[in-house]
Amino acid sequence: MIKNKQPEVSQEAPVTAAAMEAVFSDCYDFESRELNIGGNPGNTVRLCFIDGLVSGSDVAEQVIRPLTDPGRFGANVRGEQAAAMLLGGSVYVYTSKCRRKLGEAVEDLLNGFCALIFDSQGEAVTFEVKSQQRRSVDAPKEEKVVKGAKDAFVETLKVNTTLVRRKLRNPHLKIREFTLGERARSAVALVYIDGFTNPDLVAEAGRRISAIRAEGVLTSAVIEENIVDNYRSPFPQTISTERSDKFCLNILEGRVGILADGLPLGFLAPGTFSQFMKVPEDHSGHFLVASALTILRYLSAVLTLLAPAFYVAVAMYHQEMIPTRLMQSMIESRSSVPFPTAAEVILMLLAFELLQEAGIRLPSPIGETVSIIGALIVGQSAVEARVVSPVVVVVIALAGIAGYTMPNQDMGSALRLCRFLLVLAAIFLGMFGVATGCAILVYHLAGLESYGVPYMSPFAGSEGRHLSRALLRRSMAVKRDREPELHTGRGGEAKL
Amino acid sequence: MGKTDRLSERQLTVLLFVSLLSPMIRILPTAAVVFAGRAAWLSPPVALAMAGVPLALTRAARRRANPGEGLAELIIRGLGKVGGRIFCAAAALWLTFYGGFIARSAAERLLATVYPNGGPGIFIAVMLGVALITGSGLTKNLARTAEVLMPVLVAVIAVVLFSAAPDVETVNLLPVTLRDGPGILFGALPIFNVLTAFEYFLFLSGHVEQNGAKKPRRFPWMPTLAAVALAVTFFTLGTLGEALSVSMENAFFMLIRNIRIFGVVERVESVVVAIWIVTDFIFLGAVIMVVSEIWRSVTGVKRRQAFVPPTAALSGAAAFLITGGAFELQRWSDTLIPAINMSFTVILIPGALLITMLRKK
Amino acid sequence: MRRAAIPALAGALAVLLTACSPGLTIFSNYRSLENLELVRTVTADTAREGVHVTICSTAGEKSDARMYGRVGPSIGVALGELIHLPLGREAILSHTENLLIGEAYVKEGLAQCLDYMERFSEMRLDTGILIVRGGTAKDLVEGLTGGETPAPDAIAGLGRIAARIGRGYFFTCRQIAASLAENGCALAMSVRGEKADKLFEDRGELDIEPAGFAVLRPGEDPVFLSDEETWGALMLLGLFRSRNVDLPVGDTVLTVSVDKAGASYTPRFDGQGLAGVDIALTAQANVICMEGDGDLKDPAYREKAEKALEEALRQAAGAALDRSRVLQVDFLDLAGIVRRKAPLKFEGVADKWGEIFPELPLTVTVKAELTRTFDIVDPPAVSKGEEAKSPWEKLTDSLRDS
Repeated sequence: MIKNKQPEVSQEAPVTAAAMEAVFSDCYDFESRELNIGGNPGNTVRLCFIDGLVSGSDVAEQVIRPLTDPGRFGANVRGEQAAAMLLGGSVYVYTSKCRRKLGEAVEDLLNGFCALIFDSQGEAVTFEVKSQQRRSVDAPKEEKVVKGAKDAFVETLKVNTTLVRRKLRNPHLKIREFTLGERARSAVALVYIDGFTNPDLVAEAGRRISAIRAEGVLTSAVIEENIVDNYRSPFPQTISTERSDKFCLNILEGRVGILADGLPLGFLAPGTFSQFMKVPEDHSGHFLVASALTILRYLSAVLTLLAPAFYVAVAMYHQEMIPTRLMQSMIESRSSVPFPTAAEVILMLLAFELLQEAGIRLPSPIGETVSIIGALIVGQSAVEARVVSPVVVVVIALAGIAGYTMPNQDMGSALRLCRFLLVLAAIFLGMFGVATGCAILVYHLAGLESYGVPYMSPFAGSEGRHLSRALLRRSMAVKRDREPELHTGRGGEAKL
Repeated sequence: MGKTDRLSERQLTVLLFVSLLSPMIRILPTAAVVFAGRAAWLSPPVALAMAGVPLALTRAARRRANPGEGLAELIIRGLGKVGGRIFCAAAALWLTFYGGFIARSAAERLLATVYPNGGPGIFIAVMLGVALITGSGLTKNLARTAEVLMPVLVAVIAVVLFSAAPDVETVNLLPVTLRDGPGILFGALPIFNVLTAFEYFLFLSGHVEQNGAKKPRRFPWMPTLAAVALAVTFFTLGTLGEALSVSMENAFFMLIRNIRIFGVVERVESVVVAIWIVTDFIFLGAVIMVVSEIWRSVTGVKRRQAFVPPTAALSGAAAFLITGGAFELQRWSDTLIPAINMSFTVILIPGALLITMLRKK
Repeated sequence: MRRAAIPALAGALAVLLTACSPGLTIFSNYRSLENLELVRTVTADTAREGVHVTICSTAGEKSDARMYGRVGPSIGVALGELIHLPLGREAILSHTENLLIGEAYVKEGLAQCLDYMERFSEMRLDTGILIVRGGTAKDLVEGLTGGETPAPDAIAGLGRIAARIGRGYFFTCRQIAASLAENGCALAMSVRGEKADKLFEDRGELDIEPAGFAVLRPGEDPVFLSDEETWGALMLLGLFRSRNVDLPVGDTVLTVSVDKAGASYTPRFDGQGLAGVDIALTAQANVICMEGDGDLKDPAYREKAEKALEEALRQAAGAALDRSRVLQVDFLDLAGIVRRKAPLKFEGVADKWGEIFPELPLTVTVKAELTRTFDIVDPPAVSKGEEAKSPWEKLTDSLRDS
């Protein structure tokens, strides 16, 4: 058992060097040194920071240099006067805070600040000198961009909020910060447009974020599974994106956005089924083309969900549906396959999932090779060896490709899961099983809500209005209405 | 943003529209052709006109309901605590049995059309299982499910009838003369019987949001249902003719047996019959919901869901009680079921509502 | 409730998966695709013990058509036994395209066949019914087998073109059943086997040929119509598609393709009831071949040709009508036509239709029109060894002559 050697220190205790050293004992990256104010050895102040989080050159140039300069700070400037001068701009750092509580000073150090501690006053002045070592803003990796902005979110919250601010130059854009995690103290920001975004939505989102009880926000599931209405459902209820343009677009439609330090993702709520069928490219291309592609995605969703189950039901129980020539071809191709249809389909589905997982887990060069080999082995050789019939390969491949057209990976994963269940239902109950499975699925989706908005809106819960919004995009030349189910306000325009 | 079980008027009407598609397709066109012959396609508009009367009556009665009051509370208020409770309990028992009949007839339809080898047990079991899930949930969830599925069902009917259109022969539909009048009227009775089943759904009207400020969006369910009935009768009778339509149990599904879709799908009845089972799921779920709502009103127990499992079990027992296969089922379908249904929807419920309205005065 | 849901669902799943009780599952409907044989043609012929049923099926794309036969007391029993084929294979009837009934079996077996097809959900109601004339259905199908084209394809091929050559029409089970129920009679396509030209080795012993319509009545032997009567019936029933006809016009013979022919009916009533029916037949035809030196530019010639066509059409229609009255079987559904035209007046004669019909005056007027000659007005010139005249010379000659 490791004994906790750290003496108990209170959050409310005054800020002293000893207390600070006690908090950060056994931390090799904690640095503490004495500085002579104005070069006077008799007039010292303690500088503390965490190496790695701060920029050494900024600390040296902007804090130590002016502080030890006798021309700037007189040799006998002490205590309160020194603190006041520091806060007044004698040190060339754009953010400075006066901390009288140990907990606040500790938090500042952990956020990339350095602290000048005045033991006699029991207070510290902290300066933001964050290290600029961060991943640069680059094109999104998971969400392909054809005709839109290529600045994706990074792990640093400030950079992400900057990206948002650059796109939404609105004084009413609010970015409310939360600190979450008992042990990680992760920063999470709630983004919305005051006067425009539904205040009930903002309040509810804030309440749910505050209620997150986790060690820290290091994975997206911590946020997603805590802020959704039904965490048991595999269907995503918040929109997650690494694209800043998509994030801002949804803010402008009336959603609230959530950014977390350490995660290169933005989350948006509420998320409805129709939203997961849309991509920002829909707003870049011609509205007719965009509408056709949206309809194609819906058809793809149906195809990926139902194709394997439909095939199983037809091949096992309802052969009368198959046209005569195709039936003859299928009988011919299946005549030497050793496995029954049900086993064939399940094996192929599993093989497809294995290939996919292998492709994701392996490093890129190997992953691509494995995918190609897997496709060749499964697709070509298995058919030639008469382990599976060609029709099954075609059906499963079609379903898989249709699944890849889903703009949202979480939605695609949920559909893949349901696909398995529907295949099982088809095996045992044929087309009746498929219909039953679909009915239960639709019931489940119809019962979901996301922040009071029905998940299946505008197909359900919208009084039959605005159905076309889900499938079609109106031309930008026509005045574009906000999302009606989000109950946005009339204010929030970019002027005071 | 808590989970409240409120739905709009439109959602309730969509729910009852989708639910009533099930019995409508079951009886048509045979039930109308028996009386009206080749003029049976004119029976649905006549039934629509007839059903306007109970619709107007129930609308007038509902205006007297307090916010959050469903039909059960209204009747209890009107007939008195004892009389009203007995009345509602009788309705609940009838609907419990009717739920079993729905499950049994749906199973029989599957056996007759798509699964010739096998028994009804598995289908009844699955249907009741699904009804247990949907009946235990919120009313608005079932209504939303109906909203999502309604376009699919209408599209399926449209595609089926469009595919059958080339085989329609006007000789099977015309001529229609005044002498066919009485036949058309009698042929309208079974359709009227189905249309008036909307009264059962009024037991759920306590969940309807009373939003006086906004103009509520209405769904013209009755004309739409009558239009569907007309289309189904027209195309089925036009294709099969009078003699064949009368001799077949499920004439509409016999029609589907011959439909090809552009040579891509040889026969579509498996898909159509399977899709149609969804209407039975919704109808059965709604019936179980209605029954549990009635018992909640009668007993005063707060949680409606407590009554769902016993209702589902009793409906299941009723389904298995209707033994003897298609013949016994046809006997129930031709005699007892429509008779009791019409007693409730034409006499008892409107009578109770009239007494309620008069008493208020 | 939530805690009980999971074990309840698990229990339900266990019941489903166990599936041990017969009648509780649908596994009895499961069929293994690779063991199926598609039955595309069924034949029924009379047998001493009841009916001799054969099925003509194919297994895969590359497999030959195979025939299996069974004798049974009824078609239902015989087909039920035939479902289970040798070597563990199973016949599936849902792709049956045609049912061929030997003419000897029609009298006792037609109603049974129709009833079986209506009740048995696997079979389609639009399965064609053909009456085999001059032999058994089994022999015909056996004779078709052996060539490169499987017998079912040969039969289906005839079905596609029969109406287009004006030699018949493939009526379906639904149509025949509905007609029998409504009118007490029905028409069906009849076929016969003709010895195949063995010039090519890839043909069976027989070819299938259309043999006109068969008039079906419950419990009676079929009566066959001649080719001309069949043509007339097609036009009068509105089922006509096209037919090539040779017309003698003077000393030329014009071959025309009649591509539109339909009839309209006008019943006449007098004080005593139905006085007669006027039938107006209209047709359009195109010239496809000319033998001799006819001048299609000459209106008089064309008028002669049209008159010849009208006469041919009148003969065909008249033959069908006469046959109908001689047999006293209203297979052209004149009763239905009169009822549709004058329903109230028809009520007065409906009961006496059987007496009225054989003597009913029927007047057939025909109007035919030659619409096109497919870009060749003059017949191609045949050189007599002299130099052919140029178009200018022909024009100047014709001007000089006129």
